[in-house]
Amino acid sequence: MTASVQQQRNDGRPGSPVQTRTQGGRRRRRPVRPPGLPWILPALVLTVGLIYYAVGYTGYISTLDWDGVSPDPRSVGGNNYSRIFADPVFWAAVRHTVVFYVATFVIQTALGLAFASLLHARLRLATLYKVIVFIPVVLAPAIMAPVFRHMFAPDGELNWVLDHVGLGSLAQPWIGQTSTALPVIMFITIWEWTGVTFVLYYAAMTQIDPSVLEAARMDGAGNLRSLVSIIWPEMRGTTVALAILGAIGALKTFDVPYLVTIGGPNYATEFLGTYIYRQTIPLNHVGYGAALSIILLVMALIMALILQFAGREPAGPRSRRRRKARD
Amino acid sequence: MFEVRTWRGRALLQVVTTILVIPFLFPLVVMVKGAFAGQGLENFRAVLAVPGFARFFANSVLIAVVVIALVYVVTMMAAFGFAKLHIRFREVYFWLLLICLTLPEVVLLAPLFATDLRLGLYDTYWAVVLPLAALQVPFAVLLTRTFINGLPDELFEAARVDGANSLRGFIHLVIPLTRPIAAAVVIFTLVAAWNDYLMPLVFLQSVDLQTITLVPQYFVGEFSNDQTKILASAVITAIPEVVAYLSLQRLFERGLSAGAIK
Repeated sequence: MTASVQQQRNDGRPGSPVQTRTQGGRRRRRPVRPPGLPWILPALVLTVGLIYYAVGYTGYISTLDWDGVSPDPRSVGGNNYSRIFADPVFWAAVRHTVVFYVATFVIQTALGLAFASLLHARLRLATLYKVIVFIPVVLAPAIMAPVFRHMFAPDGELNWVLDHVGLGSLAQPWIGQTSTALPVIMFITIWEWTGVTFVLYYAAMTQIDPSVLEAARMDGAGNLRSLVSIIWPEMRGTTVALAILGAIGALKTFDVPYLVTIGGPNYATEFLGTYIYRQTIPLNHVGYGAALSIILLVMALIMALILQFAGREPAGPRSRRRRKARD
Repeated sequence: MFEVRTWRGRALLQVVTTILVIPFLFPLVVMVKGAFAGQGLENFRAVLAVPGFARFFANSVLIAVVVIALVYVVTMMAAFGFAKLHIRFREVYFWLLLICLTLPEVVLLAPLFATDLRLGLYDTYWAVVLPLAALQVPFAVLLTRTFINGLPDELFEAARVDGANSLRGFIHLVIPLTRPIAAAVVIFTLVAAWNDYLMPLVFLQSVDLQTITLVPQYFVGEFSNDQTKILASAVITAIPEVVAYLSLQRLFERGLSAGAIK
């Protein structure tokens, strides 16, 4: 997301360096472009049409007390919203989302960075490691859910392994108790997405100018020092993009908690996605679910904006170098 | 990039990496081992013998193909328009699209459910295909537009001088030149459509129309609680994805991580 924004800014708006080709000259040199509106229309109809229609409709439903089928729903104004703010399950879902986001993002970043650095050190079997870490990205969470239910069951493989390495005292019903259910969901998510983090950091590392690292080495910097002082700051753009994706992903979380723990036990793994589903489909509280949806949407937008601005790098030589290195 | 000169250091790193990989391998081992537990291959035969099992695959393929075709056509056209043609308030339209990137699909449930019922789309492929495609387009356009921006304007102007209209420019320049980015778009759309669970769960009621992501659930009913059969069905449904990834490794890695490539 960052890049396109930067690129548009250099597209010839006032103030950007491109503008030095004077306004008049630019027009003369570049012939008038043919109209493009018909070309973007199908995309706008499909996406903007469908999504904005759905969001608008959701906004309307959120003011109703509706079960989804009755022909004349009762309008309740902002009542659904005020109920949400007094709903302990909603706040629990928000809390889980925050904890989940922070933990998965930190661990994934650390693991992705570790794998990327390790595989840049010319290990044997590098392709095998890469394939193992990346396969989970391709597999559908819905298909893996029964595997994880099996693995974390009281008589499942995890407890079996713990028993056999002498850690039998750690064996426990992972999914069935509130204290470990959320960490299980986090484990599955990290398992699933570390491959992407890793591939991105790996690619970003190959774009770092080797002469800089060589110079650092001459000055006596070890591998770890180079990683912290040169490589990590150089990859800021990648990290910010991953932070945005992770935040939106955390807010969207549905498949894994729904299929592995059904949001339980006792709402311990309830997320906004699973709660909206529970309210809308099985409980038929469609109005309430719609109000939750609107709140979720606002949260996602705010998160994307905050991270976009917080992550913006100071304009300068670095961003230029990065753009050049992109291809 | 990193230099490890000593033999000892290398061995240490090898061991560390292997230990870090074990948690990633473990669930895959559990899946395969569980699928062969008890009756071994017989589990797979029992799963494959369930009538209509192939139906789930056919439906997933059909839905994925239509979603990809739709996303591809719409995206290429829009990216071309945004990058190389004249549009008033271009950035306004672009941001309208970009905002959709943040949309969690669960928000679409209630309104689409009500609308599909009214239009008779409920329990048809369209109820799944349209929202899936709509959700993939913003990101695909973002990527492709950035790519087409990088193509020289002179190319399109020369074509115009030679009398080619926008349509010919699109067919003879945009389509062939965007192949690398189109591959990424196709891959991430494929995986998103193939792996999606929520849309088929809510909008496809008849078993005849359901997709492979609903298979585990179906088999929980079919084999009551015979875990080995359920894991065997998971292995069978995972095979096409693993094979596709292994044979197109670089494309998949690039396509799926395109998400954050600027």
